[in-house]
Amino acid sequence: MKRLRFLFLAPAAVVLAATLVAPLAIVSVYSFLSRGAYGGVTEPFSLENYARLWDPLYALIFWRSLWIAAVSTAICLILGFPLALFIAAAGRRKTLYLSLVILPFWTSFLIRLYAWIFLLRDTGLINTALQALGMIREPLPMLYNEGAVILGLVYGFLPFMVLPLYATLERLDPSLIEASADLGARPFQTLFRVTLPLCAPGIWAGAILVFVPSLGTYLTSDLLGGSKTILIGNLVQNQFTSARDWPFGAAASLALMIVAAALLLAARPSGERML
Amino acid sequence: MRRSLAVYATGAYAFLHAPLLILAAFSFNTSRFTVWQGFSLRWYAALAHDRELIESAGNSLLIAFVSTACATAMGTLAGYALWKRGAAWISGSLYLSLATPEIVTGVSLLAFFQWMFRYLNLRLGMHTVILAHVGFSLAYVVVVVVARLRSFDPALEEAALDLGATEWEAFRRVTLPHLSPAIAAAAMLAFTVSIDDYVITSLVAGVDSQTLPMTIYALARRGVNPMLNAVSTIVVVLLGLMVLLSERLRRT
Amino acid sequence: MIGAAASAAGCARGPRLNVYNWSDYIAPDTIAQFEQETGIYVRYGTYESVQEMLAKVMSGNSGWDVVFPSNAFIQPMRQMGLLAPLRREWLSHLDALDPAFRQPPWDPGLHWSVPYMWGVTGVLYQTGLHPPPLAWRDLWDARMAGKITMLDDEEEVLGACLKMEGYSWNSENPAELRQAQRQAIAQKRLLRAYVNAEVRDQLVAGDVTAAQAWAVTAAQAIQAAAGKLAFAFPAEGFGRYCDNMAILRESRRQQAAHRFIDYLLRPSVSAQIASAAQTATANGAARQLLPPSLRDNPVLYPSEEVLARAEWGAAQSPESQKLRDRLWTEIKSA
Repeated sequence: MKRLRFLFLAPAAVVLAATLVAPLAIVSVYSFLSRGAYGGVTEPFSLENYARLWDPLYALIFWRSLWIAAVSTAICLILGFPLALFIAAAGRRKTLYLSLVILPFWTSFLIRLYAWIFLLRDTGLINTALQALGMIREPLPMLYNEGAVILGLVYGFLPFMVLPLYATLERLDPSLIEASADLGARPFQTLFRVTLPLCAPGIWAGAILVFVPSLGTYLTSDLLGGSKTILIGNLVQNQFTSARDWPFGAAASLALMIVAAALLLAARPSGERML
Repeated sequence: MRRSLAVYATGAYAFLHAPLLILAAFSFNTSRFTVWQGFSLRWYAALAHDRELIESAGNSLLIAFVSTACATAMGTLAGYALWKRGAAWISGSLYLSLATPEIVTGVSLLAFFQWMFRYLNLRLGMHTVILAHVGFSLAYVVVVVVARLRSFDPALEEAALDLGATEWEAFRRVTLPHLSPAIAAAAMLAFTVSIDDYVITSLVAGVDSQTLPMTIYALARRGVNPMLNAVSTIVVVLLGLMVLLSERLRRT
Repeated sequence: MIGAAASAAGCARGPRLNVYNWSDYIAPDTIAQFEQETGIYVRYGTYESVQEMLAKVMSGNSGWDVVFPSNAFIQPMRQMGLLAPLRREWLSHLDALDPAFRQPPWDPGLHWSVPYMWGVTGVLYQTGLHPPPLAWRDLWDARMAGKITMLDDEEEVLGACLKMEGYSWNSENPAELRQAQRQAIAQKRLLRAYVNAEVRDQLVAGDVTAAQAWAVTAAQAIQAAAGKLAFAFPAEGFGRYCDNMAILRESRRQQAAHRFIDYLLRPSVSAQIASAAQTATANGAARQLLPPSLRDNPVLYPSEEVLARAEWGAAQSPESQKLRDRLWTEIKSA
């Protein structure tokens, strides 16, 4: 058993060592260095970057990012669950419906965000249609606000919720649902007391795959939010691009990872291991 | 219940596909801007002449297929092993790979590769990109596969072992088939994160490994360009046809 | 399609050159014609920002030969030892350059770089506006509340605010910078968004009334929405940039690289590129070959009088960069 397990874990472990552990070690070292004159890092070593982070400005940025990520994850769950249910119950067409969910995401996210701008802007498709139908008189401000950012995040991460949910829902034994109905439960009761607990691993997986990456998002807040609010992803991105302060970016990024890890540890369902 | 789910699903699919349809529509626009001015195939014609764009699309597809295959295989095996008995530092690494902002992964990978290349006679190229892609896709595969395994009854495997199967046989004939929907879903996710990755790829790509996202993001910086709509439409139609075809083949 | 196959073959062997440039900065045929004439296969890669290019070439073995840094980065790249000195004997078309660019402040002897394309930042606005916004101050006008945009670029926004307060575009003075920051924060409630070149579409469609924009974006937008849009060079002064051709020190194809630069300096070639990209070229001889609509385009080639108000963007010292970034973060968080 041990040998099989070792063989199974080895390839992934090697890849992770090369693509994550070693680079992460480098990032950690960077976070204690100082910025080079035009980018890159130089000596001296110091704790200055972490000291800089200890500032209400950055706490506010962290808090905003956490809030937006949490809301987006919740909405993804609410919107994604019925869709996953539909696909799991679709019989022979399951894989087809599943592929249809993810197919749009095989094109550039950036260009699709531009398409959303076209849809949401004041002279965009939605406003023009609504005005033509006489439903509104003034265009609705659907772009360049926090709501637009959340919409963009939900749009961008929905498949990452739907696919893990599907993976667990597909396993669901329909007879359990039937039994619940036979015992007199109404559909909603069955949903909350039978279905949801059974697919809890899927919900947890989907939440991880949506919440954690969306903490580091920068493109959506730039394009749909009008770049008016700075989130942790934007902050880190800036440090490695226009600000050319890699050590500070490294420190901010490590802080983000620690916060994300702490949240996951605190929030995981009782009895579940981390993964 | 079934009917309301179907209605809801239609709405959800519309939400997911609406931007894509708009993209496709504007790829036939005469004007460069998002103001409709007439039907035209000029952007598709321009595409055919753009050597860089076509090559980068090809590179992206190659990288996506190879890294998806590797990540799915490695991730499934690793997920299974982790489910049997946890390994803290591997699980931890997987989480960290999800939590790390892309630019940090990209810059640190670049630094790591360049440090390594001082001792090996190598350069940045397709191999570094594929390695990077497998690296960040692993977490997605493992998370999905483990989620599925959580609802799998270990007694089934034990029964197989009692009946004389080896561990490998038990895994291959009992657990693996049960996992196939999760593996399919995981592979799709891995393909998705690979084919549209910009930040990490642009930093670890070599001179000859320009990918489609790199070309697109560089072009998009100058403003919306319908040529990008055209190439996206073609890519999605091609991949969609491929999916349909594999469905057909699978059912026969 | 045939090109793709040929390029795949070209990958294998034979003389080659790796060129790393901004996108949309070359004409469709330029590379192909160069390859035909010289037999050198050209790998043409594109980047989205100078910082991205710097991150790749900083290591000293990126594999690229020719790059296109903006003027503010020439000195820094020199100091980092990244650039190769140019050999005049291999560049026969240098005198095609416009006299104004033969002794640029960032490289007076043209020892390290050759000016390529240049541009400025100004105000792009709807012609229906009365009075028209002719100064940066006008972008703080409450009439247009909710329909103003600025560039999503720390240097551009702080630069405009600095100019508005009467300071230098490249100021490193903390007091001046903080004043500029206060202005930027005050503008935020009137501001629709920080957008870059994508604002073009929104101006054409009418969502945005006035925007801080690059001249090249403006020229394209004005051409597309004939009569609806206009561009102003702010009265307080504005920023100016120039992208240059340079060769990396790590390159082992110095002669081929020089040949490529010399090729791009040819008036006919440069004119083709300027037409395709619709940017202002630093090549005076090429400019004469352009059609009048481009050659005399006041947006792309403003008069000397106007240009006197412009200031070349310059690299910031590390301390100043740090302060500016902090100020930018505060502006964004406000």
